[in-house]
This record gives sequence, structure tokens and C-alpha cells, in this order.
Amino acid sequence: MGNVEELIDSVLAAGASSLVAAGDWLTGTQRKAAALEARDARTNDLDQQRRRAISPNAVSGGHGSIGDLRAEAVEVVHRIASDPGRITRDWADQAIEVLGEETYTELVGIAACTATIDMFAWATTDRDADLEDAVAGEPTNERPDGVGDVGAWVSQSMGSGMANVSRSLSLVPVTNSAWVGLVQAMYSRGPEFLDLEWKRALSRPQVELVAARTTAELECFY
Amino acid sequence: MLLSVSGEKAGLVVDLEVATDAAKTGDAGVPHGAELLAFATAANRRSDDLAQARATLEAVVGSEGLLEAAATVAIFNGLVRVADGTGIQLDPSMLTSTVATRAALGIDLFKGAASTIGAPTEPRQDVNGVQGLFA
Repeated sequence: MGNVEELIDSVLAAGASSLVAAGDWLTGTQRKAAALEARDARTNDLDQQRRRAISPNAVSGGHGSIGDLRAEAVEVVHRIASDPGRITRDWADQAIEVLGEETYTELVGIAACTATIDMFAWATTDRDADLEDAVAGEPTNERPDGVGDVGAWVSQSMGSGMANVSRSLSLVPVTNSAWVGLVQAMYSRGPEFLDLEWKRALSRPQVELVAARTTAELECFY
Repeated sequence: MLLSVSGEKAGLVVDLEVATDAAKTGDAGVPHGAELLAFATAANRRSDDLAQARATLEAVVGSEGLLEAAATVAIFNGLVRVADGTGIQLDPSMLTSTVATRAALGIDLFKGAASTIGAPTEPRQDVNGVQGLFA
């Protein structure tokens, strides 16, 4: 068990560290604030009202700014965290117009990494993961070469030979690096992914069964 | 999709309705499926029976099996948010091979289907073709 446990522990630690360090377009302070807002979305009154409504747009009100994380960014994190299955292109386009597609994509990545890290901690120990203090530093502020329209709401890498979900955060390389590390360790493990018979503690059908129930619970089409 | 094909490869007859509907009971045709599904549901809902579901699962698949199950629940919580948040389209090969399954399970009714079905652009994939997932 040691190898698998160590592998997962190491990427979870790296993922948690990335949430409090400077990223692509956001500082460590902003990223940690976004991560904590993603966590708060589970119990936030406004988010819960939206979840219960026939449409999230039927509920008035919004989230305010947190420190130097602007209100629109807080809104994105809360929606991605609390109600991802009912996000629409119009809603995303409005957020992207205000924040820019790079920052929007980074916020999606932060919400996703937070959900992953916290869920693993919860599933194994009934508590959220620990987050360290924010680390000083400046974001890279670099848009990578070779990204463009591949049919998604945000630009992604072209020519990588990967499935669409694999390149979904490629617009923000720092965020993407932590994210891909999590996916590799916790699920795909490199070329092994293409093999339908895994030599793991759980068989491939057992892993995919858990995945199927999880995506159904979250009403994900993809 | 991957549940079906990996199940078929293993000689299993997988019940996708049981796999995806928490209101249904059973093992979905997968060894220890009932325990895996109970754990996945309890974890995703952070429900009060999670500790019991965790202990029950560990008793049948061991501690490393439990670790793999927890990792799977966790990473798919992230994958769902990445997919829905960035509006990626279902890859064309997957789109065509899952028509009947999506219809039978009501998956086409999910809001996120709009990114692919009826979207202004046809689903596209990489010019080099899909060669892997994070491989």
C-alpha cells in the first residue's frame, strides 16, 4: 500500500501548496481566498438557496468581494463549487468578459483542486484538508503559446493529442500542472489509463463504478 | 462508457441504472459494487452514514482499495467542475458511441449537454486525434 498512499499523499500536498502560492494571474493570497470560498460554498446560504431553486438565476443577490478577490471572482468560485451542473455558456461568457478568460479558467482550476483535495480528506477522515498560510510572490501573468478555440468556453491547447478534458486548463499552466498531478496520481496514472485491466487494489470496473456514481450525483454530462 | 467497456472486458454484465441512480439498490454487476456505491454516495453527500460505509467497504476491499475508492470520488469531484466550468465538448468518438446509453439514463437532459448537443459548433477533437487522457 505504501507506494499508492505515498503517491497520493505527495500530490495532495503539492496541490494544497499550489492553492496558497502565486499562480498564473492570481497571487497566493487571492488563490487561498478563492479556495476558502470554494469550501464555503458547501454550506453558504445563498448557494444553498440557488441549489434548491428551479434555476440558480431565480434567486436574487450575489457574493461580495473578499479581500482583493473581486466579487465576480468570488461568484465564479461559488458557482463552480456549489452548482457546476447548471452552469451555462451565457453565465460563463459574462464572467469571462469581466475577469478575462485566463483568470476565469484559473478560478475554475482552484475550485476543482479544492473540491478534490477536500473530498479526499473528507472521504477518508471526515474533515477538510489543511491549507497553509498564503505564500508571497507574483503570478506569472503569461498566456501560453499554442492555445485557441477548440470548441470549449475558454481557449485550450491545440495539437496535444489529448482528450478535451485533459487540456481543459491548459490556458493556465501553473494551475494546470497541479491539476494534472492530481489526476495522474488519483486516477489515470499515465499510459496505464488506456489499459482496461488495472492491477490495482480495485479493478478497472470497480474504479469506474465509483466514478459513474460520482458524476451522476453531480449531474455531469461529460 | 469506461464502466461498460471495462466491465465487458472483465466478463461482467454491468447495470448502468444501478450504477448511476442512488435510489436503486444492488451491486450493478460489479464485485463489491454495493459497498463501493454506498461509499461513493455517502462521501459525495457527506452524509452521516459515511463512517459506516467506509468501514464496510474497507472490510471487503482492504485499506488500499478504500484509498483508491476515495481517490476516485475525490478526483471526479474535480473533473466534473473542470468539465462543466470550461464548457468542454464531449469528444466526437465518445459522443457517437454513447448515444443509446445517454438516452437510456437521461444524461442528455443534464444542463452540461448543451456544450455538446445543439452547440453552435460541432464537437471537435485534437488534430492529432485523442491519444490518451493525461498520459
